[in-house]
Amino acid sequence: MFKELDPILHSQLRLAVMSLLISVKQAEFIFIKEKTNATAGNLSVQVQKLKEAGYIDVIKEFKDNYPNTSCKITKKGIAAFEEYVKTLQEYLQVKQP
Amino acid sequence: MVEQDFNPQQSLELIETMINRAKDKFAERGDMYLIWGWNVFICSIIQFILLHFFQYPYHYMVWMASWPVFFYQLYQLRKKNKQRKVRTYTDHIIAFVWVTFLVLIFLLAFLIGRLTGGEYYSHINPVVLALYGMPIFLSGIILRFRPLILGGIGCWVLSVLCTFIKEYDYQFLMIPLAMIIAWIIPGYLLRARYKSQQ
Repeated sequence: MFKELDPILHSQLRLAVMSLLISVKQAEFIFIKEKTNATAGNLSVQVQKLKEAGYIDVIKEFKDNYPNTSCKITKKGIAAFEEYVKTLQEYLQVKQP
Repeated sequence: MVEQDFNPQQSLELIETMINRAKDKFAERGDMYLIWGWNVFICSIIQFILLHFFQYPYHYMVWMASWPVFFYQLYQLRKKNKQRKVRTYTDHIIAFVWVTFLVLIFLLAFLIGRLTGGEYYSHINPVVLALYGMPIFLSGIILRFRPLILGGIGCWVLSVLCTFIKEYDYQFLMIPLAMIIAWIIPGYLLRARYKSQQ
């Protein structure tokens, strides 16, 4: 019996955001937007969902007097991501001949 | 990016693509290596000339020229931080390698001064060279950039060679040599690599 894939991560944009954040220390919202080619509206909804799940921290600060949002993966997020990849591997191993 | 159902294979591909995208254009421009490499190169040559040819007692005063360079670098770092949209672990670790180096160099200058008194200048060069090798070697490992790794090892070889130079005036010439192999050459190579990525 397969474990179920984490529904929070098993969504293209949220998984893309998590994969970006797992490889860097902290990234600005605009950087994530550029790399994922997402619209600002969609991205902020997905970022909010990841934040509510406790997978990322959203840091709001001022940069040159303008508000600036950055995201950073949490320990819980790293654990969930690792678990997600492990489950994916289980799926793929069984499929291989 | 369109929201849709996707299979485990596509999930893994997406993860791989995003991780690779995060790594794009994170190359070091080599500015710091060039600024400091040339600064230390010129200062140490002038110090040698003042010491060897003019026996000028305050030969070390030439290092005061490093202060404007230091402030210029602080300004550059601030500017770079403002433009930066992402902070990588590599940047973070390398920054602290250099902080460790700065702390150690001031600490050792103080300690050697305290422990040896008058003999200060005959001990400082090999120790400084040994220390120079550390941030260069580590940066080379972290950035996976061989010229820096070799430059770091070069500094360590020079620090040993330095102890065999009896007339200590000439020890000062090891410093500019170290600058060429460990800072200036890798600095230009880093800059070339950075430009080729643009």
